[in-house]
Amino acid sequence: MDKQRTHIILIEPSYIVFEGLSQILLKSNNHFSICHHTDLKHIDSLIKKENNNVVILNPSMLQNRNNDYIKLKNNHPSISWVALVYSYFDQEILRKFDSQINITEPPKDIISKILKIAGPQKTITTNRPVALTERETDILLHLIDGLSNKEIANTLSISIHTVISHRKNITEKTGIKSLPGLTIYAITKKIIQLDA
Amino acid sequence: MQHIRKTYISPATEVAELINENYHLLLFLEHLNIDFLVYDKTVQQVCEENNIDLNVFIVLGNLYNGFFPNKEELDSLKDIELIILFLRNSHLYYRNEVYPKILKYISILRAHNTSKDIALVERFFKDYFNEVVEHMGYEDEIVFPYFSQLLRGDTQNSNFSVKGYREHHSDIEVKLSDLKNLLLKHIVIKNERTTRRKFLHTLFELEFDLGIHSSIEEKILLPLIENIEKEQVHG
Repeated sequence: MDKQRTHIILIEPSYIVFEGLSQILLKSNNHFSICHHTDLKHIDSLIKKENNNVVILNPSMLQNRNNDYIKLKNNHPSISWVALVYSYFDQEILRKFDSQINITEPPKDIISKILKIAGPQKTITTNRPVALTERETDILLHLIDGLSNKEIANTLSISIHTVISHRKNITEKTGIKSLPGLTIYAITKKIIQLDA
Repeated sequence: MQHIRKTYISPATEVAELINENYHLLLFLEHLNIDFLVYDKTVQQVCEENNIDLNVFIVLGNLYNGFFPNKEELDSLKDIELIILFLRNSHLYYRNEVYPKILKYISILRAHNTSKDIALVERFFKDYFNEVVEHMGYEDEIVFPYFSQLLRGDTQNSNFSVKGYREHHSDIEVKLSDLKNLLLKHIVIKNERTTRRKFLHTLFELEFDLGIHSSIEEKILLPLIENIEKEQVHG
């Protein structure tokens, strides 16, 4: 999996519309995850913080709920809001959305609008360097010897922040965080030798 | 291309439909002592028949579908003993089923490998497992009984400390993730691929269930208990 999903939340009273739209989205071979609710008030629990979130909303759901909507928009500035339009709405209401989908639009136009508004699907880089630098290896050895961050900083005459940042890089490169795990890593890479 | 669609569980949803969509919910049902033969019953019907609190079912089930409850839903949780039962049952699953299975895979790998690295993995896992068993024992024998005592309105002293309890979990998840990455990235074993696949598969399943388990304890159960403690102090 090289891309993160775009998480689509559809707030729409009609199950028919939901089923139809989710078929169109899933068949498009994009990394979408989709969830559905019939009420705006559950939106907080539907949002996935680690993904790009797009909310597709039937503007009729905003009747008498304008203030709730403005509040939601302010609380979640990173979310894109798309109006799903299948009857006449005042331009005043539609202006509150980042984009619009019309019920009669062809699937490929709907997909391209959503992709455009969601922004690029984040790509996780897979070809970052994996070997530890000399400095990181030094720090790893001290960690395995049981030294604390502060003791390592003193021994190597560097700041404790530098030690912490090296440790972060070690974990990122190796995928290992715990001390026993790092010890096994060091043995398998022959950074340290087992006695006997 | 993987297609993901998870339903937000509500009282009228059919349970069989939910399981077809996300089979991890089988484990969820087992933790609640609910049988898998659900016919075409809805969530509400299954709850009524099994004497299970509907709100607890919906909130915990939705965690398996990736939805964290909002404040309103959290406040709807009244049957705290049921949440404790769920957690106790998942302990049994970890202790009696998952960990023995992993130990079996490791011993197969050891028997067919001369590499010393696999012995290190075994030791790493056994140390880790002992920690987990100790932690679960602490919860089963001290934490949960204290909660139950509190729920009965009994405020006598106990050995329990919320702070110490909170710190323990992250460590358990870190080591599990380390084990996965050691097998995927660092430990060189070239034979027994099927065993390694089963081993990894089990680790991923365990990680999924443990993640939900910890978030129930830390983000749902503890805040509920802290509220009760406060209420009782203020009378």
